[in-house]
Amino acid sequence: MKYKSLTIAAFVVVCLAQLYAPVSMILHREEVLQHGKEYKFETAPIDPNDPFRGKYIVLRFREESFPVDSTENWDQAEDIFLHLQTDRNGFATIRSISQVPPAENTDYVKAKVSYVSHHNGRDSIFFEYPFNRFYMKESKAYEAELAYQSSQQDTTQQTFALVRVKDGEAVLKDVLINGVPVKEVVERQRERDQAAIKKAQEQ
Amino acid sequence: MIKDLPELVQAGVITQETADRIRAYYTAGAGKPQNRLLLVSGILGALLIGLGIILIIAHNWDDLNRSAKTALAFLPLLIGQLLGGYTLLKKQASVVWREAAATFLFLSVGATISLVSQVYHIPGNLSSFLLTWMLLGLPLVYILASSFASLFYLAGITYYAVETGYGYQWAGRDAYLFWLLLLLALPHYLRLVRNNVAGNFTVFHHWLVPLSVLIAMGTVAGSAGELLFVAYMSLLGIYCIIGSTGSFKTLRFRNNGYLFMGIIGTLGILLTLTFRVFWEEIAREKLLSFSPEMMASLLLGSLALLLLFLKWQRYTFKAISLMEYLFLIFIPIFSIGSYSAILATVLVNLLVLGIGLLTVRAGATKNDLGLLNAGLLIIAALIISRFFDTNISFVLRGLLFVLVGIGFFLANFWMLKKRKAHEI
Repeated sequence: MKYKSLTIAAFVVVCLAQLYAPVSMILHREEVLQHGKEYKFETAPIDPNDPFRGKYIVLRFREESFPVDSTENWDQAEDIFLHLQTDRNGFATIRSISQVPPAENTDYVKAKVSYVSHHNGRDSIFFEYPFNRFYMKESKAYEAELAYQSSQQDTTQQTFALVRVKDGEAVLKDVLINGVPVKEVVERQRERDQAAIKKAQEQ
Repeated sequence: MIKDLPELVQAGVITQETADRIRAYYTAGAGKPQNRLLLVSGILGALLIGLGIILIIAHNWDDLNRSAKTALAFLPLLIGQLLGGYTLLKKQASVVWREAAATFLFLSVGATISLVSQVYHIPGNLSSFLLTWMLLGLPLVYILASSFASLFYLAGITYYAVETGYGYQWAGRDAYLFWLLLLLALPHYLRLVRNNVAGNFTVFHHWLVPLSVLIAMGTVAGSAGELLFVAYMSLLGIYCIIGSTGSFKTLRFRNNGYLFMGIIGTLGILLTLTFRVFWEEIAREKLLSFSPEMMASLLLGSLALLLLFLKWQRYTFKAISLMEYLFLIFIPIFSIGSYSAILATVLVNLLVLGIGLLTVRAGATKNDLGLLNAGLLIIAALIISRFFDTNISFVLRGLLFVLVGIGFFLANFWMLKKRKAHEI
């Protein structure tokens, strides 16, 4: 009997741990979403998928590297801290990078070094943002990619990721093409396509 | 019933051996065929439902808002936990309940984490997700005494090792964690082996555990990858020793993953190394420096030697088959190979030929047609490998082929004739 109650106690602890893991993930992100500062990162989405989490678009960012004097102290897979600022057009840019978290009043994002490069005598650090996936409904991910591609051909259009940042943590809120969420872009495109089909059928 | 066993043994009503067998019978719980069918369908049902939920989640329902999706994420997990709790309280004696509940709960943990990462667009690579999932699922192996959870865990950590250990980016860095994770699964496996070495779940473990180690071994490979030949030969030697000792010896060949992998793997590596190109590569590399590969080779080599020594002490030398100490012959050949590729190539060819001939002889003396043909097959494989060597003349190769073909006929003919003579 004693053995049984021990087992049950252990099971309860395990259940709590199983609940704690997702809950802490949620609380962490909610905190950043509620109180973080908003930044827009210019992007370039494409469409692969993950066996467990479904379809997503991978975000590739305009700024993926930062020049340094020497790459000597930098290593692959290391943590890197990107200090942010906003440019004239309202997009996020990187002011500087460091290997330790910056002073308190700077907004920064913790990322990972993907590789270091010495190209043409110029050293730079390439990194991976911690918000490079945007999960989408499976039927929409591919169309989102198409919508993005057509927006690329038109230089007046701009794609960006809306990200909230707090204490080095970043949470991706949305991906927008010309200020319209990519999900809505897909829906509008579908409506337009359907209207065109209807019109063609009527004729 | 099981509780009374020690008392019965003490009173001399039954022997310890009988008591163990009775315990094994009840803990394995697969005595009756319909019980086994129920078990299989229970696990399969839980597995399908769990996987189905993961797929439905992966669809990503964007009509729901964030809080609704988050709330939904916890639904499978809570159902799984309730089922688990109910099983512990009311159905602990039922294998079907324990296995099915553990399977479903294990999968629902993954489903919930997946959905949360989806809602918040957490990129978190696959390996960190697998690690969290497996660690949260592992306790179910022990609390619900679930063998399927154990198998699932083993598969999961192997996937983790492959994900972190192979590939170009940051490879190998976290793969060492695999060995610790594997250690955590061993107590359950050992319990299974002690209770019923030929049980269904145990047999699955006999395959998955050595396979998992074999796959994960490659993650050690770095700059001195060729040295892993020694590590692999030692590991496969260990498999041969385990597979042909103690209770494992009673297993059928197809249920004995260790022996199966040990023999096939050893022969595969040796056949590979009958080609000169591999030795030329080995001779080219500077391998005798401190590296993870060196560590793995030393560790596994000494472990194999220790096991061999223990077995030799307990049984006579005759109880040990050639496959079990082959790694001891291989290590000097490998050392020679670092200096002379030609010499090592010749030696390995002779070694494989020797194994083939000895197997043929063993088949002949034991009057075992299967063993005899296995030996001939080894020789044939060796000859066929030489078929691809362009530096042997066509005539010579042709003659070798003809000779082996005649050998096959003669050996089988002779054996069958000998049998007939016995029958008369």
